[in-house]
Amino acid sequence: MRRVVFSLATFIALAVVSFVGVDALPGDGCTALLGRFGTNAKIDACRQENNLNDSVVVRIKDWSGDLVRGDLGYSIKRDEQVSKIIIPRLRNTAVMAAVAALIAFPSAIVVGLLLGRYPRKRISKAINQFSVIAMTLPEFVIATVLWLVLSIWIPIFPGVSVMPSNASLLQLLPNVWLPALTLAVVIFAHSMRTMRASVTNVQNMPFVESARLRGTNERKMISRHIVPAALPPVVNVVALDGAWLLTGTFVTEAAFNFQGLGRLAIDAISDRDTALILPIILFGLAVYLVSSILADSLVRVFDPRLRSSNR
Amino acid sequence: MKTLLRFNFLKNRVLIFSVLGFHAFVALLAPYLRLLSTDSQDSAALLQGPSLNHWLGTDSLGRDVFSRLLHGGRPSLVIAFAATAISCLIGIVIGSLAALAGGWIDEALSRVIDFMLALPTLILLLLISSFFGQDPLILSVALGLMYASPIARVARSATQTLLARDFIRVARLQGGSRISILFGEVLPNVWRVMFTEVAMQFTWILLAFSSLSFLGLGASPPTPEWGLMIAESRSYMTLNPLLVIAPIMMLASLVLAIQALVDHE
Amino acid sequence: MITTLTQSQILGFSNVTVRIKNEARDSRPILEAIGLQLGHGETLGIVGGSGSGKSTLLRLAAGVLTPGLVLDQGEVTTVGKNLLVATPAERSNIYGSVVALVAQSIGESLTPHLTVLSHFRDTVSGEAVDERVLESLAEVGLGGEKYLHRYPHQLSGGERQRVLLALALVRSPQLLLLDEPTSALDVSIGSEVLTTIDRLQRSRGFALVCVSHDLGVVSQISKRIAVMNQGRIVELGQTSQVLRSPSHEYTKALVSSIPKLDQRIRESSSQSNERVLVCRGLQIVRGQTTRAIDSLDLEIKQGEVVGIIGESGSGKSSLLSAICGLVSVTGGSLHDGDGYDLSTALQMRPREVLSSIQMVFQNPDDSLNPMRTVAQSLSRYTHATNSEISSALLTVGLGEQFLTRRPREMSGGEKQRAAIARALLAEPRLLLLDEVTSALDVTVQAAVMKTLADLQRKLNIAMIIVSHDIALVASFVDRILVLRNGQLVEQGSVDDVIKSPRDSYTQNLINISARRAAI
Repeated sequence: MRRVVFSLATFIALAVVSFVGVDALPGDGCTALLGRFGTNAKIDACRQENNLNDSVVVRIKDWSGDLVRGDLGYSIKRDEQVSKIIIPRLRNTAVMAAVAALIAFPSAIVVGLLLGRYPRKRISKAINQFSVIAMTLPEFVIATVLWLVLSIWIPIFPGVSVMPSNASLLQLLPNVWLPALTLAVVIFAHSMRTMRASVTNVQNMPFVESARLRGTNERKMISRHIVPAALPPVVNVVALDGAWLLTGTFVTEAAFNFQGLGRLAIDAISDRDTALILPIILFGLAVYLVSSILADSLVRVFDPRLRSSNR
Repeated sequence: MKTLLRFNFLKNRVLIFSVLGFHAFVALLAPYLRLLSTDSQDSAALLQGPSLNHWLGTDSLGRDVFSRLLHGGRPSLVIAFAATAISCLIGIVIGSLAALAGGWIDEALSRVIDFMLALPTLILLLLISSFFGQDPLILSVALGLMYASPIARVARSATQTLLARDFIRVARLQGGSRISILFGEVLPNVWRVMFTEVAMQFTWILLAFSSLSFLGLGASPPTPEWGLMIAESRSYMTLNPLLVIAPIMMLASLVLAIQALVDHE
Repeated sequence: MITTLTQSQILGFSNVTVRIKNEARDSRPILEAIGLQLGHGETLGIVGGSGSGKSTLLRLAAGVLTPGLVLDQGEVTTVGKNLLVATPAERSNIYGSVVALVAQSIGESLTPHLTVLSHFRDTVSGEAVDERVLESLAEVGLGGEKYLHRYPHQLSGGERQRVLLALALVRSPQLLLLDEPTSALDVSIGSEVLTTIDRLQRSRGFALVCVSHDLGVVSQISKRIAVMNQGRIVELGQTSQVLRSPSHEYTKALVSSIPKLDQRIRESSSQSNERVLVCRGLQIVRGQTTRAIDSLDLEIKQGEVVGIIGESGSGKSSLLSAICGLVSVTGGSLHDGDGYDLSTALQMRPREVLSSIQMVFQNPDDSLNPMRTVAQSLSRYTHATNSEISSALLTVGLGEQFLTRRPREMSGGEKQRAAIARALLAEPRLLLLDEVTSALDVTVQAAVMKTLADLQRKLNIAMIIVSHDIALVASFVDRILVLRNGQLVEQGSVDDVIKSPRDSYTQNLINISARRAAI
């Protein structure tokens, strides 16, 4: 409970800092709309119209009031409600993230367990090397390689997506595969290595040998002793990676021109459309904070020592 | 295939050090090698394959790929070195100080570190680069500040573990001042633990800058930079795959060699 | 030493040699030409210092070869089988039902996320599991259902060791292997656990092999003793005979280095009336409310050696920490001989006060900066010259070659000697010794204590030595204090306390110690 209150406070603090920070950037919605050719008079008129000449304090008050009521604001540059712009792209990103998560997380946990349990097998070593490579290379390299291999050399998936942002799910699906696969490679490597390291670590603990010397069979050994002890660090990583899938996929979306939240963020930044940038930042913060709270409460399920102390 | 699987290239010391040596050599000496200009455009020879004139062919503007490739690591390496130095300096000082001081100072500094960790790094970099121009100095400082928080966190816990050790207690009993204990006992040991973390950090920063360049907000054209080269050539992948494969190989070999070195330690 | 295998034996080692993998054949093996036999229902104790190979031997008996080692020659037969070549399935059938091993680190040998009952459910199934488990727990002295649903972190050290015993014995194995069953426990609790083991062995009749660094522990529960040194069994025989008339040099050293209540290694020296420490009504609170020390009065004279006995949680370490300034005093007064108030924070103390009180800590691996040479560590804060360091090292029995050594190139005893030398260089009037020998092997411990006795006589400094071992303290000090739960329960000269203790707790400690020494 203390944790939730604290996160909420962090969120509010960060929201205010972000507002002031974004506000302090040179340029606002009007300069973005009118560009370099806007005369001072025109820009002034536009600012008057959109209440941009009010003090920061007044605008934060207005903005946060709107936010509480569910109004994300208005993009002068795009002449549209921010929510109307964001929601379809959020859906696209969410679908992509879900596909990536479904491919990567379950397989990462199973493979990580097997690799930790049977580290001497040649196939384990090969998978391990692959995962080091996948974890070290930046997304844009993985994206480009996958594109080259799976779209150009062996044309299975379409490369650059040409769909509109509000495409139907059926239109969306073929375009989801390559970006989702790229993200899946990254998070698979990451969570699999965490699982493997955690299993290796747990296996060297005295209680595992102690259980073995009592005659615990392999099946019970894995399901009752090793896996529950190995999962907590993995839960944390999965939560962080999950948050990243929803909010950090700028590069992958840009690489495939995928109409998601990340792509939108880059566009908004290069347009200097501050009204759009701010809600995207806040969304990222909220997802990050919520996922770490979720991870913490899940870890408690596995560890009785945490359950009994500092409730 | 079987021998390839058996050959553990991430554990081969000779290979790791020759790759790192190669990159160091190229990055330091590229301007002094008698290479073709990285910028001169040859409109008569666009998107050509390898030839005697152009060892790795030319890009869509007719520029020599080989020459651009050898120069292409320098911007990211310079920024990564500068930013890692900044983040280490700030991170280790703040982290050790928080642990050493304890009490409310520790509490306050820890909050700041948590706060910094929650910031969305990439979007902030994009904002900074977009609004303040793609200035290497600004980007190094921004990267250094942002990546200081993970270093600070590790340094803080490393220092805390150290402070509980008896030789630190003895130093206090024998009249060592906080400063002399910090520099004499704590930092040398913290640094030893931190080496891995710092090397990883260097890779992250290098890749973050390359990714920025790929998005068009890191190195600005016509600077040769691997991420930027990949972004520029992606549309011509079907015509000349070497245009993207070559910078990918350079970038990949560099970061993998660093990673392998870290794992080795 | 080739032994023939007979049907009645349950464990047999014939000419077993174990080496470090890939190490040259002329290097010293971990185990060398081990020959052993154990019949049904027999008990064997294996005693030796750290690195003697005793744990490797015990694990080998359970068919476990520590990673990084290879069986060079010989054969191990456990209940008629070679477990080293058994499949995992065969092993899990044998473990717990025929052979059971209780490993050393009791703190981590129970799975932290499982309750006591869940631990039993791994291997006990079928009807009436709960009754069987309750019965089994009651047998090891843990009666009542309250233990069933506890997690390991909710158990004390002694309770954990008992649960592990119950888990090992629940399916009535014929052979029980114990690795240091009491080393992590307080003296009185360890003694109770040993009594339980002895009772169970007599009533159930299983064969028992117990490994310990402590001759007192193994002699209490085993009829035969094997003494190990550097990978070899140097002596093997009936317990009473080995103890009464040891034949091998190492065994002789081992037996003679056990501290005895009535044997002194240091004679009382001249004490002046000058005091070096005065504390009145001292109170130390740690954490939120825990009283580590409650209303303690203590006075120490120049050249006096005081021993403090107590178990973990008795407040003995808190007291030392408060005297040297690492822990703040919450009540009462604490002054040094010149009347300086020692409740002042460490940073505020003047240099002379700081150097007049020095402390040596328990863990030798922790007391020297791993990055520095001994000379650097010893001179950094004391500003001693090289010749001063050399002479200080000589006082504690270390030669000049140690000046340039780093901690990783030194043994535990050597590191502890260097730590003592460093304390001496500050020229203290009061030296605090916190369990300084408890991490060392018995023979090394005796040598370090002798060194301390010599330098006390030479320098005539006051000392406070804290230990859980009453015999060790009694052999060394002038005056004994017994602490329990932060309270002083006993105080007096060595003779008074040992011969006529007033407190029942002290009496208990003396009895345990006497039983051990009387072997």
